[in-house]
Amino acid sequence: YTVDPKGQQRIWSALCPYHPLQIEGLLMEMQNPDTGIKTHTQRVMITNIPHAVAGGDILQWIIQHLQITEEEALRLGTMVVKFGYIYPLQEPKNLTLKTDNNLYRFQVSCLVAKMLWLCVTPTFPSIYLAKKNIKRKGDLEEYEKEHYNLLNKKINYKWDFIIMQAKEQYKAGKERKKADRYALDCQERAYWFVHRTPIMYYRQALMKSTVKSSVSLEGLVKYAQQLLTNDPFLAVCLPSNPWITDDPTFWDLNAKLVEIPTRMRVERWAINFSELIRDPKGRQNFQLFLKKEFSGENLSFWEACEDLKYGDQSKVKEKAEEIYKLFLAPGARRWINIDGTTMGITVKGLKHPHRYVLDAAQTHIYMLMKKDSYGRYLKSPTYKEMLDKAIVPQQTVRKSSNFSFTRRQLRSSPSPVILRQLEEEAKAREAATAVDITQLCQFTAPVPHLAVYTGTRAPPSPSNPSPSCLVPTNLPLQSPGHVALPNSTVCPSPISVALESAPGLETRWETNGCNSSHFPSITESTEISTDSESGPCNSQVPGHADTKVPPKARMSLSFSRFLKRGCLNSPVFATLSPKCPAVPHGKVQPLDDLEQQLQQTSKRVAK
Amino acid sequence: MVKEECKALLDALNKVAACYRHMVLTIGGTADSQNLREELRKTRQKAQELAVANRNKLTGVLKDKTVSKEDKAEFERLWVIFSTCLEILEVDMRRALELGHEFPLNVPKKHLIQTGMSGGTSGVAARAMSVQNMKYEADHNIDVVDLKDLEKEINQVGEMMYEMEMKVNVPHWTVEAKQDPGAELKSTVSMGASSMGMISVEENKSFCDISKVLAGVIFSAVLIIAIVLAVCVVKLS
Repeated sequence: YTVDPKGQQRIWSALCPYHPLQIEGLLMEMQNPDTGIKTHTQRVMITNIPHAVAGGDILQWIIQHLQITEEEALRLGTMVVKFGYIYPLQEPKNLTLKTDNNLYRFQVSCLVAKMLWLCVTPTFPSIYLAKKNIKRKGDLEEYEKEHYNLLNKKINYKWDFIIMQAKEQYKAGKERKKADRYALDCQERAYWFVHRTPIMYYRQALMKSTVKSSVSLEGLVKYAQQLLTNDPFLAVCLPSNPWITDDPTFWDLNAKLVEIPTRMRVERWAINFSELIRDPKGRQNFQLFLKKEFSGENLSFWEACEDLKYGDQSKVKEKAEEIYKLFLAPGARRWINIDGTTMGITVKGLKHPHRYVLDAAQTHIYMLMKKDSYGRYLKSPTYKEMLDKAIVPQQTVRKSSNFSFTRRQLRSSPSPVILRQLEEEAKAREAATAVDITQLCQFTAPVPHLAVYTGTRAPPSPSNPSPSCLVPTNLPLQSPGHVALPNSTVCPSPISVALESAPGLETRWETNGCNSSHFPSITESTEISTDSESGPCNSQVPGHADTKVPPKARMSLSFSRFLKRGCLNSPVFATLSPKCPAVPHGKVQPLDDLEQQLQQTSKRVAK
Repeated sequence: MVKEECKALLDALNKVAACYRHMVLTIGGTADSQNLREELRKTRQKAQELAVANRNKLTGVLKDKTVSKEDKAEFERLWVIFSTCLEILEVDMRRALELGHEFPLNVPKKHLIQTGMSGGTSGVAARAMSVQNMKYEADHNIDVVDLKDLEKEINQVGEMMYEMEMKVNVPHWTVEAKQDPGAELKSTVSMGASSMGMISVEENKSFCDISKVLAGVIFSAVLIIAIVLAVCVVKLS
């Protein structure tokens, strides 16, 4: 139970091309006594509560007011209900817009967008739950009880106040008219139902270990001292600080995946493992090293997990399945070496995949790389070579060409679209060179350089036709981790790109009989996403697939593609287009049968 | 003695904060009015007075070196309750400010949200101010005029909280709640609660009881008068 404003913003921008402020304007219009929606009175026992609106009326009003199709109005209406601006009266847990006589009511609480920021503290939902506990005399629902207990553990020191305040709010409520009290109850319940959080966020928060401040302060001081020389404002910046001299060479030299990085950057990778792994160039170099040691799948797995956590959440199930097939399944092409317990936990979690389902495995692999490979990497010729190659730019002194009265030439940086194209090309080139290695050694696989980690954001899908009065917005993403990832990957998941391009693809289809039924669905979705997206990605991927894949594989691939085109059905296409929020659930792979196999093999191994 | 005083002050602040919350939830809805805005103003000012009183008392006690260990622990617990209460108050005040800006009452183009609420909050306000009835004496543009004061007071509360953190060194997380989870169920006496699905039957019953008693009294009074009249008529004739 908390309001996660950034998360909400992210979800909103991914699902709806209209900006929340525009929605608010719309909702205000609905209240207009002359041109707004007709209200009815809700009758509860002997009380009449006014201002109930019928779902069908809402829909008709939206259609007329915005001049959009019924389908789009229905989507917009459902969004409005999902985000709590309007709440259903008869089925409070069903947050959809029903177009019959189902009644809804408005509430103010969600209305002002800025106010979402005001309720982030867990104190408020705790008070609400305690109040509900009093009203229901302890008869809360299961998930409410769980939340209550978790919140109690999390903010136990506030609990006396919470109980005091809950009691007082309950008593103060009695001073109001009965009908008002009822309406307020419904409203509050709807609000907290909309803003509930999956319990695991709390469980994770509880599991975090706390550190003594003296220790953490020492760590901070050490960190600051170590990285002082890297700070372009506090130390000398080579060639020059762009903010001061107006010369962007510094940024060019330190671009995400520049050919030859600066020496300072390469030296920074030696400070600790996290510095290495958060730098995309560092990861690239590290991956080169790992491939030589035949453990490249570790880093690829780690990157795939990051994509799962911070990437497009509507594709969580598919991504989790792909990761499982590629890295975790018995006999997987790039099987990672994790211990039995972690594997068991992960496979169990994959039955109900969510963004953190691979955390345990990811941490294991991270620690493995950190403790094992990292040390060797720093002594390896790969790293030393990079260190030698690294450039030390000359410090340029700004010529005092100041105060010229002519207008200074403003140079703009290259368009992100072009940058992305260049990165795609670089990625394709890397994957191409990687394919050659596979011919020599069957244990390594081509390493796709995930566009996701180059840090550029995918532009919001331009193919969305929005109504004339409303403009799609691009809200900035802030991810908690170091790496900035796009929130809606318009390009197909890099794993599926790898699947497509890998020459070993057809052989996979024979060996894994039980997987084959699901395989076409995944590549089918890849097909669809490559078809539906516009922009630079389109030009890169099919070209890449055509030229790099050897002829035999290409033929079988194109044949399979031909087959799949035939069974392309429009609902699937429609649902995978960027406009639509829902992901078809028919494609969920039941992992039970696979898990049983796993259990059997592990039993055999144990014996 | 000091403990009881502190507890009483804290209870008073808690009560006012709860009432304030109820009133803030009404802003922007159909039950919003100039009276509500005046109630908000008065309640808020009372809350501030109580907050200052609480702070002075508690800081005085916490700085006192002669206090015993158990007492100190208790005062620290009260301190945590106090700062959490201030936190809630500040959030509610900010909310009131946002909504106040968003829903000015004298602009005909701005419509109130049809929240289904129509009754007033005077009862809640009276409870907060500890008076029998509320008196309304403000201008009819208090909704706009009050916003500047509200902003100032939000800053004041923010500063108070900051000062408190700086001057008094009570680590919040070391305080353990006295009451167990679920303790709220124990001491609430009148359980005429309205459950989520329907208005509770109990409340209806008590309502009917009162009206029944009243009807009975009136009936019997009428009966007595009728009997008296009849007796008079008989006597006179």
